[in-house]
Amino acid sequence: MEAEIKWLDDPETFRVNQLPAHSDHHFYRNYAEWQQHKSSFEQSLDGQWQFKFAQTPQERVKDFYKVDFDASNFGHIEVPSEIELSNYTQNNYINTLMPWEGKIFRRPAYALSQDDPEEGSFSEGKDNTVGLYLKHFDLNDELRGKQIRVRFEGVERSMYLWLNGHFIGYAEDSFTPSEFDLTPYIQDKDNVMAVEVFKHSTASWIEDQDMFRFSGIFRSVELLAQPVTHLEDFTLKPRVADNYRDGELSIDLAFAGEQAGNVHLVVKDHDGKALLDETKPVTKKVTVEPHEFKDVHLWDNHDPYLYQLLIEVKDAKGNLLELVPYQFGFRRIEISPEHVVLLNGKRLIINGVNRHEWDDHRGRSVTMKDMLSDIHTFRENNINAVRTCHYPDQIPWYYLCDQNGIYMMAENNLESHATWQKMGAVEPSYNVPGSVPQWRKVVVDRARSNYEFFKNHAAILFWSLGNESFAGDNLVAMQQFYKEHDDSRLVHYEGVCHTHDYSDQIPSLNKGNYLPQGETHDYRDELSDVESWMYLPPKQVEEYLKNNPDKPFMECEYMHDMGNSAGGMGSYIKLLDKYPQYFGGFIWDFIDQALQVKDPISGQMVMRYGGDFDDRHSDYEFSGDGLMFADRTPKPAMQEVRYYYGLHK
Amino acid sequence: MAYTNKMHVIYGDGTLGLGGDNFHYIFSYEKGGLESLKLNGKEWLYRVPTPTFWRATTDNDRGSGFNIKSAQWVAADTFSKCLNDQTDLVVDDRHFDHLPVAPETNKFTNHETANKVKITFTYETLTVPATKVTVTYVVDATGQINVSAHYFGHEDLPGLPVFGLRFIMPTLATGFDYEGLSGETYPDRMAGARHGKYHVDGLPVTPYLVPQENGMHMETEQLSITREITENNADHSTKPFSLKFSQADQPFNFSCLPYTAEELESATHIEELPLARRTVLVMAGAVRGVGGIDSWGADVEKQYHIPADQDIEFSFIINPAK
Repeated sequence: MEAEIKWLDDPETFRVNQLPAHSDHHFYRNYAEWQQHKSSFEQSLDGQWQFKFAQTPQERVKDFYKVDFDASNFGHIEVPSEIELSNYTQNNYINTLMPWEGKIFRRPAYALSQDDPEEGSFSEGKDNTVGLYLKHFDLNDELRGKQIRVRFEGVERSMYLWLNGHFIGYAEDSFTPSEFDLTPYIQDKDNVMAVEVFKHSTASWIEDQDMFRFSGIFRSVELLAQPVTHLEDFTLKPRVADNYRDGELSIDLAFAGEQAGNVHLVVKDHDGKALLDETKPVTKKVTVEPHEFKDVHLWDNHDPYLYQLLIEVKDAKGNLLELVPYQFGFRRIEISPEHVVLLNGKRLIINGVNRHEWDDHRGRSVTMKDMLSDIHTFRENNINAVRTCHYPDQIPWYYLCDQNGIYMMAENNLESHATWQKMGAVEPSYNVPGSVPQWRKVVVDRARSNYEFFKNHAAILFWSLGNESFAGDNLVAMQQFYKEHDDSRLVHYEGVCHTHDYSDQIPSLNKGNYLPQGETHDYRDELSDVESWMYLPPKQVEEYLKNNPDKPFMECEYMHDMGNSAGGMGSYIKLLDKYPQYFGGFIWDFIDQALQVKDPISGQMVMRYGGDFDDRHSDYEFSGDGLMFADRTPKPAMQEVRYYYGLHK
Repeated sequence: MAYTNKMHVIYGDGTLGLGGDNFHYIFSYEKGGLESLKLNGKEWLYRVPTPTFWRATTDNDRGSGFNIKSAQWVAADTFSKCLNDQTDLVVDDRHFDHLPVAPETNKFTNHETANKVKITFTYETLTVPATKVTVTYVVDATGQINVSAHYFGHEDLPGLPVFGLRFIMPTLATGFDYEGLSGETYPDRMAGARHGKYHVDGLPVTPYLVPQENGMHMETEQLSITREITENNADHSTKPFSLKFSQADQPFNFSCLPYTAEELESATHIEELPLARRTVLVMAGAVRGVGGIDSWGADVEKQYHIPADQDIEFSFIINPAK
């Protein structure tokens, strides 16, 4: 199979030869490796790569992936990093409009007409910069002779992969891991991996998040070797009984490789007591039937108690092939008949923030240090919840939230703001994904990836379909995916409020401000378990809550913390005392998106925001809405947040 | 001068001087206010204090268009118009019909004294329509000054960004100490603050991406600003010296920064601000909230507005105590 550049123009081609998404577990050769957090099955490809930048697809070197290619005129780039922050191309911050606003006229393929594929839209895009990456490597001894895959944890925005001159595959969805099987072409020594990264493709329409627009391999890359028998995927279903005291656990496991030997599963509590101990022969699918846990220790923000699961995969002789440790929690989220959200039978209150991944030197290529710092800030300031706005985060963040009791709204990588809102007005004439058939599979795939990778994390209480993408049958299909696969969490989506007439529920709102002109199908009953708004003023929130609310209410974004802000928070918080159906919200947002650079005039290190790089069109200082300055010092408003979020801990 | 418990009153031809053991004050009839506030030989004023009406536009103010609706307060803040013929002076029980200058003061000596002097300056705002502000200084024999300011409400004016008195000091303070609320507080963002005594090093400007109103401290009981150098060419001391403010009837609000609202307003990045060289103290009688509902239209909640049609009065005390 050969790579085709026209995939960039085709919303129906978004993964080629990619391995299916699966649970995000680590696997180790033995217990010693687990203790050292270093798996010999894993080989990092992070570090210096050879790099060549091209301004357009047409100007790129097309045969750079061939084994005999002379790359002597290539430069270097650090992986992971943002291409823009190595100054190959311009930084740009833009909020809702597409980054080509005022430069290129585009419409999403098939959005206006089924006869309109918009051929060449991106493959010939004058704004479609390209990064060509080359990496030479030898396999570590421990990986040789095994099945080898490569995992790209995050690449913006569309990538083609070759190994040793052979085309391997293609991936979109910048914020979820993409894995490819390298086994047919991998060598012990002198491998050359080639990655071609395009800044734009049809995926750009649905990755129109309010952020700096970067490109490149911005998260880690690693090789993963699998033992002869390998636990490819597993699904934990920890359930809490109706008495909120007892629990039960069932486990579904899926194996790859030889179906021989046994799998030994143990669940231990903090005292090391084994509460489940089962051995089963390895087959393609293995199921551990519901196992009762009496007087289970529940997980929540105050007491994020996690049980330790250990899965040992052994060969027929009983030798350990791989060890999969995983921590999981028992918790139960539901909506009561009175429309109150309950966690473990008690009212849930979200004291949340929206968190973009951000580092003022590295852009969205955040580090473990950034993540640990953010968790610490959460704990210190009574922030108990995070919305992964508006894409899945790096994998370790989910583990940190499990361990620290941070409730997660795990959001898909989806925002198509420019396609339905124009200068404040709701105008969805060319909205995607909407109900356009060609845009269905790609968004359902994003829902699937989000679910499959992160399904075992106790911290996730809500799946969120995405952000500011209007509504349509394709979002309904995403919702259905979650409903079919996961009855242990709620599904959230805010954009549906632009299809429903709230005259009875929130009479003071002007319909013209939130509804499109003309008729629109009302998706309210098909898209979200909760009533979610953003920036609805306290008075209107109260109107909804007073008028027989038929769904629990939350603000997925509120308290816009741009500059000197976060005043009047008490008007929201006091509604929590009056209305049990109100369950809080997520402040917009956690950290300013600003870049620290050296000012050529003063020689000082200074913060730069949108428009500061001659980037036009820009939304300028709207990139800075955080409770934290971009260098992770808290803004003065943080003491207010700590106080109000401390009232309903 | 002979020993006395009273303060010395110097009837000048353009000013009124008031002196005591460790203080000397000069009120300027022409500049329209307190021109010199000298304690223990150290000058505390760079220019006469003026009423202040503007705060550097916050992102939320810009989003809601408040800066545009209330734009005329920039002019009123930038240029101060004192109605000098309305300046009112009372020395002990003697009320002067008009400001005393020669020849009528020729009868005075260099030994005039008083227990209490009250001088009121009247300002006309550069707004359409105009309204008035009075600032009254009541000085007692110990040099303690009770300062009060009064804004006369006018229903045809737009809402105020702030109302206060702005003091510009000749050199940069090295820091300040206050008793009040922790952190940066506003009427709609002070629930999380803790009451206590706080020291602030230097005059930090909160580094919001676009410089804007910052550094307000609500409900303060005491404030002491410390400097180390003066602009007096004969003064080579670097020994710290302080000026103390305390509440009169009610706690006061203040910000202490190296910049005026206009300087902050002119910059789009922190590094564009001029080199910090002075101390700008705003004693605020009314502070507008910062808001937070959104940054593209929602106004600050109504109870945190400063309506222009209502009178505002506030006061505080300057303590010359050593």
